[in-house]
Amino acid sequence: MKLHRIQGLMLKTFFLTRRSWDRISDVVYWSIIDLAVWGLTGQYFTALSSPRSHILEIIVSGILFWLIIWRGQQEISVNLLEDLWNKNMVNLFVAPLTFAEWVMSFLLVSIVKVLISFLVASFAAELFYHINIFAYGWYLLPVSILLLINSWWIGFVIAGMILRFGTKMQTLAWSIVSLLAPFSAIYYPVGILPKWGQFIAEVLPTSYLFTALHAIVVKSPLDVFSLEVSLVLSFMYLALSLVYLKSCFNKVLERGLVKLN
Amino acid sequence: MSILEVNNLTKKFGSFTAVDNISFSLEEGEILGFLGQNGAGKTTTIQMLLGVLNKTSGTIFYFGKSLEKHRMEILEKVNFSSTYTNLMWWLTVKENLTFMSYLYNIPNRKKRIAEIVEIFRLQEFFHKNLTELSAGQVTRVNLAKAFLNYPKVLLLDEPTASLDPEVAEYIRQFLLMQREKFKTSIIITSHNMGEVEELCNRVIVIQQGKLVANDTPVELAASIPLSHIALIVQKGEKEALSYFAKKKLLHKKKGNTWYITLTTRGISAFLQDMTRQHIVYTDLNIQKPSLEDYFLQLAGEKSYETS
Repeated sequence: MKLHRIQGLMLKTFFLTRRSWDRISDVVYWSIIDLAVWGLTGQYFTALSSPRSHILEIIVSGILFWLIIWRGQQEISVNLLEDLWNKNMVNLFVAPLTFAEWVMSFLLVSIVKVLISFLVASFAAELFYHINIFAYGWYLLPVSILLLINSWWIGFVIAGMILRFGTKMQTLAWSIVSLLAPFSAIYYPVGILPKWGQFIAEVLPTSYLFTALHAIVVKSPLDVFSLEVSLVLSFMYLALSLVYLKSCFNKVLERGLVKLN
Repeated sequence: MSILEVNNLTKKFGSFTAVDNISFSLEEGEILGFLGQNGAGKTTTIQMLLGVLNKTSGTIFYFGKSLEKHRMEILEKVNFSSTYTNLMWWLTVKENLTFMSYLYNIPNRKKRIAEIVEIFRLQEFFHKNLTELSAGQVTRVNLAKAFLNYPKVLLLDEPTASLDPEVAEYIRQFLLMQREKFKTSIIITSHNMGEVEELCNRVIVIQQGKLVANDTPVELAASIPLSHIALIVQKGEKEALSYFAKKKLLHKKKGNTWYITLTTRGISAFLQDMTRQHIVYTDLNIQKPSLEDYFLQLAGEKSYETS
C-alpha cells in the first residue's frame, strides 16, 4: 500500500469538496437541522416531564452519534458515485492503484468528514442546548469508533451493490441508513420495538451501541455487554462487507470497468 | 524482446466471443495502429491490456513480465487516453492533473505538470473546470494526463477525435517526436485512416474479435490489387469505350471525367494502349489503393471485383 496514491485520492475528494457548496453544506447542514428540530422537540418534552428526565440529552446524543453512521457511509458511497458519474473509474485503475488503497482512501476521507461533522454538530449542541457531549467522558470513544466501523460496513455494502448493479442503485446511498435507523434504537430502548423489530435489532451492532450510549448519557453503569456484542458484530460485518465489495469489484472486472455506469 | 507481447488473448461474455485468440506484439518505439469496425473488439482488447477487464484466456506480457503478476510495476510505465473515459468534470485541469500525478508518484510534480500543460497548450484554461471546456480541449487534457508519467507504453483510443485539424496535426507530430526522442511505444485506434498511415509503423486489423491482418499500412494497402484512374478523354472516346469493354475494365463517366478501375500492375500497359490507339486524354489522376480502401473492403462497403 503506497501513501502517495491514497493521498492522491484524498486530494481528489478535497478538491471536489472545496469547490462544491453542496458538499460543504452537506457536512453540517442536515445535522444542524436535525439538532434544531429534534432538539427543540426534546426540550419541549423535557419541560413536560420531570426535571430529572434525560430526554433532551438522549435525543441530542442520538442525533450526534447517528451522524457518524450517516456521514461515514455517505462518504464511501457518494465518493464512489462521483467517480462513476464522471466516468473516472478507468482512469483510476489504469493507474497503479490497488483495491486496498482505493478502500483505504474511502476510510480516511470518511474519518476526516465524520470528525468535522461531529465537531460542528457538537459545538451546535453546546450552543443551542448547553449539552457538552464530551463531558460524558472517554467511554464515548469506543462507541464512536465502533459507530464509524458500522458506517464503513454499511458504506461498503452500498458501494458493492452500486458496483454490481450500476448507478441505478444510487438511491441506496441516501436511503439504506434511514432503513436501519428505527431498528438501531437511537432515541429509545430496543424493548419498545415490536417483537419482529427486536429480532432485527438483535443482529444490528448499532442497536447495542445506542443502548450503551443511552446508559452513558443517563449515567448508568457502563453497559459492557452491549459494547462487547457490538464489537464482535461490527468487525464481523466489516469483514463480510469487504469480502462482498471485493467480490463485486471482481465481478465488474469480468464485465470491464468501462461498462460501469 | 518486445515491449508488449500478447498471446492467444480471448475474452468471452457468456456465449459471445468478443476477442478471439489474438496474438501480436509491440516493439520499442513502435506506433501500432489498431483498426476495426465498431464492435470489432478493439476496446475490449485495450481494456484487457490495461488490466481493467479480466481476460478469459491468453497471456499479456509487458517488458517480459506478466500483467497479472506485475500489474503495479507495469502500470507505472503505461498510460491511456480515450474518448469514453473522463477525468473529474467538476475539477479544474490543474486539480485533475495534480491528483493523477500522485497516483503515478511523479517526481517534481509541479514542474512536470507545468511542462505537460505547455506541451498540450492548456495554459489558458488551467484553472477552469472540465465542464467549461470544449470536447477538443477535454481531449487535450486527457492526453496530458496520459503523458504525465513519462509512459513507456501508451494506449490511445482515438486520441485526435474532436480536435480541430491544426491541433490534431500538432498532436500527431508530438506523438512522432515522443517515439523518436523517448522510444515510446504506442498503440493507437483511430477511424482516421490518413492519421494511421501517417503515424503507424504497423497496423493490426481486428474483425469480429479475430485478428485478420498484421502488416505495415503500405503493405495492407498494396494487398488491394486495384487502382482507380480518372481522366478526361479529349479525342477518341469511341475507341476508348470499346477498349474498356474489350479489356473488361470497370468504368463509368461522371460529367466529362471517366473513372476506370484496373489492376495496379496494369496501369502502365493501360496508358501505353491508350497512346497506341491515339486516344487523347487530359487531367490524368491515378489513385493507388490506400489504407482506407483496405478498411472499406474489409468492412464490405467497397467491392473491388471487376465484373
